[in-house]
Amino acid sequence: MRRGALRSFGLPAPDALIGIGVVLALAAVPLAGPGTYLLGFLFTIFMYGALAGSWNIIGGYAGYLSFGHAAFFGLGAYTTALLLFYSGWSPFLTLPIAGALAALFAALVGYPCLRLRGPYFSLVTLILGLAMYSLTLNLPFTQGASGLFLPFLRVDIYTSHVIFYEIMLGLLTIVTAVLRQITRTKMGVGLTAIREDEDAAGTLGVNATRLKLQAFMLSAFLTGLVGGVYSYYKSYLDPSFVFATSISITIALMALFGGRLAWYGPLVGAVVLSIVNEMLTTQAPPQTARIVFGALLIIVIMFLPDGLISIIQRRLPAFVLRRAKQAAARDEIIGNR
Amino acid sequence: MTHHTSRRQMLWAMLGAWIVALTVGACSQAPAAPAPTTAPAAPTTAPAAPTTAPAAPTTAPAAPQGASIKIGCSLPLTGAFADTGVWVQRGYEQWAEDVNAAGGLLGRPVELTIYDDESKTENAVNLLNRVISVDQADLLCGGYPGTAAAAQMAVAEKNQKVYVSMGGHMASFSQGFTYVFGAPPLMGQWWYEGLYGWLASLPEAERPKKAAIFTINNPVGAAILEPMPEELSALNIEIVVNERYDVPLTDAAPLVTKAKGAEADIFFANGFFPDSVQIVKAMRALDYNPRLIAQGVGSIIPAWVQELGADGYYVFSGTAVHPSLPFEGISRLNDVASTKYNAPVAPIYFIFGYAWMQALQRGVEGAQTLDQTAIRDWLKANQISTVAGTFTFDERGLPPSYNYLTQVIDGKVELIWPPDVRTKDPIYPKPAWGQ
Amino acid sequence: MLYELAQSLTSGLLIGGALAVLSVGFSMAWGITHVLNVAHCAFAVLAAYLGYWALNRWGIDPLLALPIMLPAFFLLGVAMHTLLIRATARRAHDLGLATMVLTFGLGVVMENGMLLAWTPDPRVLKTAYSALTLRVGPVIVQAPHLIAFGLAVITIGALYLFAERTFMGKAVRAVWQQPMGAALSGIDLDRVTTIAYGMAVATAAVGGVAMSLLYTFDPATHLSWLVYVFLVVILGGVGSMLGSALAGLIIGLIIGISSVFIPLAWNNLVLSGLLIVLLLLRPQGLLQR
Repeated sequence: MRRGALRSFGLPAPDALIGIGVVLALAAVPLAGPGTYLLGFLFTIFMYGALAGSWNIIGGYAGYLSFGHAAFFGLGAYTTALLLFYSGWSPFLTLPIAGALAALFAALVGYPCLRLRGPYFSLVTLILGLAMYSLTLNLPFTQGASGLFLPFLRVDIYTSHVIFYEIMLGLLTIVTAVLRQITRTKMGVGLTAIREDEDAAGTLGVNATRLKLQAFMLSAFLTGLVGGVYSYYKSYLDPSFVFATSISITIALMALFGGRLAWYGPLVGAVVLSIVNEMLTTQAPPQTARIVFGALLIIVIMFLPDGLISIIQRRLPAFVLRRAKQAAARDEIIGNR
Repeated sequence: MTHHTSRRQMLWAMLGAWIVALTVGACSQAPAAPAPTTAPAAPTTAPAAPTTAPAAPTTAPAAPQGASIKIGCSLPLTGAFADTGVWVQRGYEQWAEDVNAAGGLLGRPVELTIYDDESKTENAVNLLNRVISVDQADLLCGGYPGTAAAAQMAVAEKNQKVYVSMGGHMASFSQGFTYVFGAPPLMGQWWYEGLYGWLASLPEAERPKKAAIFTINNPVGAAILEPMPEELSALNIEIVVNERYDVPLTDAAPLVTKAKGAEADIFFANGFFPDSVQIVKAMRALDYNPRLIAQGVGSIIPAWVQELGADGYYVFSGTAVHPSLPFEGISRLNDVASTKYNAPVAPIYFIFGYAWMQALQRGVEGAQTLDQTAIRDWLKANQISTVAGTFTFDERGLPPSYNYLTQVIDGKVELIWPPDVRTKDPIYPKPAWGQ
Repeated sequence: MLYELAQSLTSGLLIGGALAVLSVGFSMAWGITHVLNVAHCAFAVLAAYLGYWALNRWGIDPLLALPIMLPAFFLLGVAMHTLLIRATARRAHDLGLATMVLTFGLGVVMENGMLLAWTPDPRVLKTAYSALTLRVGPVIVQAPHLIAFGLAVITIGALYLFAERTFMGKAVRAVWQQPMGAALSGIDLDRVTTIAYGMAVATAAVGGVAMSLLYTFDPATHLSWLVYVFLVVILGGVGSMLGSALAGLIIGLIIGISSVFIPLAWNNLVLSGLLIVLLLLRPQGLLQR
């Protein structure tokens, strides 16, 4: 597994090269001096990209559709926010704690819940999200429904936007790299086996229980990190937003819309849906905008039920696909040893 | 292969059709905006032509001239809070129409851009950023509800922009923000000030003795509840039940039986419309008739009377604005509400929206500039008058605490307290159900 | 305490019935046709509006309007299955996932269509029997609750008889339990799933009318109703009609009991906790082996 990872870094596949180029270009965007709105909008896209990507590890690759990722998002958000609120520790430093707590929570609930298959898993995670919302609302130290006001970052408004932009871009890059790397390792093979036929995967020597738990924890960890940054960015948070079922559904929707089977699918879904929604919101009358948005989901899924990327995949130049496939196949063979 | 191609062609054709439809829709919606290059053809970009304004309040003012002043914000126009958001939007638009008819702001026309945040706080923050940095709006208008406003206040403060809204609760005015104003505020902590005042005016023997309090688990509910123990104990009213509930409220019967079991004679339903309707229906069904029912932020919207009918009568509530208050401009707003929107009187949030924009207008006209710090400083140093009354502001951006007591009597929300604004004598104790 | 408990249990149980009939169609659609219809409650809210307008425009009680609505909603479901879902199913790897996105989009379209048609103002249904009550000892039973419960009993009972006694019903059950075997024994899968789907949407109309007897509604309400549906379906087991009925009642009872013995603010937490435990004990729902 480690050798596979090294190999792919030593000999970057074309998709990785393109990715690195895009990340570097995006990192340089603030130099061009775009407005705070563009930085904020891109921050949101990156955030949803990172969330949908994190979700995809368990929801897409393993096929365990979680409807409760808001639990991890909110847990991360409240962890950094409370540490800042009570101890004055910067969220940028406490971020790992946010991720770790989310992962720990995932381990605790994942162990029993991942025994449930298909829809039952989806729904138990949905209830988990609701339970976390209810808990946060009623715990004595969270300020309950009134929400938490956090101090601003002590820099001017543009710099603060740049800082959050770069950090979220970093998180998105990490998530995407993890997502891509998984497809080239034993873990990815194992998760695919679980998704296609879990019982058969067991007979092939895949330790499904452990692998699912690992994937769930990794997914929760990354989601918690994103939540941890988000609370500081927004500087006001309340349970009704960070634990909202709509967050869980939105990120699942983005991943499914983009395509959950490829590492870039969730990212594509997040980018396209965010941009389309923003365009509609600013250009069309409110109800019409929503109706068009809904109709768009219907039409795209009717024709591309496996997500938008099925159209991209068909359009990629043949040699890119071929080299990517070769690289993946090579890593898989090494990884399987 | 052919199969693939045809499918793809079909997809593109549909996408194309969709884009065409969208463009046509957007264009047909767009009014003849004076500056189409900067203004997005948003639904509400409406620098109303001065000629269309009904009954211009002053005599033939000079038509506004020059580049328009851009005012932007987001409101929940779809989703869970749309019923209220739409009325705030109408208040904003009415104000813009009136200002343009009366010669504009600083002699320039005003132009509103109101985005739909789909009742999501997340969108409210992003869209306010858009208003500030893409649309380069000269002025901001406020958002709704309390959570969106709280989050937007932080954005406005960071950008040093004056932000006038209802706020919803004291917490958002206690953060040291200097550019935010509640003018007038919908302040949870003050919600029952009128009620306390009126109860204090009753002889002690006539006051209720035991209170049951049920509060919605959200920021406004928490704010309403906060001062209640102290205020009620000052009135010698004992709290026998005090609970919070989550929404959606699945079953109101347990709340009512608890209050009934504790023999509470004053019942507080500190909630919003849907939950309070359920509670009142359950009270009637379970034949629990306390001497006084007070309700939070649900009985002052038109739906309370129109939809709930007689079961909602005699319920007390609070408000910071009211269509029967003796302030200049209110009666015209009532006329507009009935002619334009077929509402019996101007709904509360229509007046709120109008009053917030007036407060902003007073600040701009007082400071004679669009400089945000100058507007802020002027507002904090001077008294202003709006359809909701006259106000001065402290360093938090709040007027001195006040709120009116209302009661629903014969299908109308009447003013009860303070006595100088009373429109009808209160009906107390509450008559039996169905009478 | 005893009076409170009896009263809360009664009303909780009756509300549970309404939740059950709201959910049974969703469960059927998921179990039999593998469609995760997130727009299920949007159909229910649509029915609530139609009932409301029938009453307020023409003075027709929503219960009397139901017999007209049922075939209409059945046809709506058939049309939706034929036009949208079959087309998707032909191309999808995983129909459940694809239809989740598809019906989410449909829910958005329907919600905002209703917003355009009927404004966002909340609605309260006021029928002739809204204020009627029935006394059983100290306990008071509200007529709308009782009627909603009755609707649930009739609907779920009829569905159950249909599945057990009719040829079409047996075919539906066969498709649910053994799709391959059903196809081999000459059952037209497309036809059967389409009919089952139409019936599922028709029950959403009953659920919507039942809910509108108890709750206020506006176009956005469907999302909060959907959470109830999820809870009922998970507890009852996907595809199980009697499971939905039982789960609805259990959820109603849990709410009734917990709101008497523990602070209301903790009710949802208790409900969530209990559901999680029940689910871990019975991973396939209450009634499945």
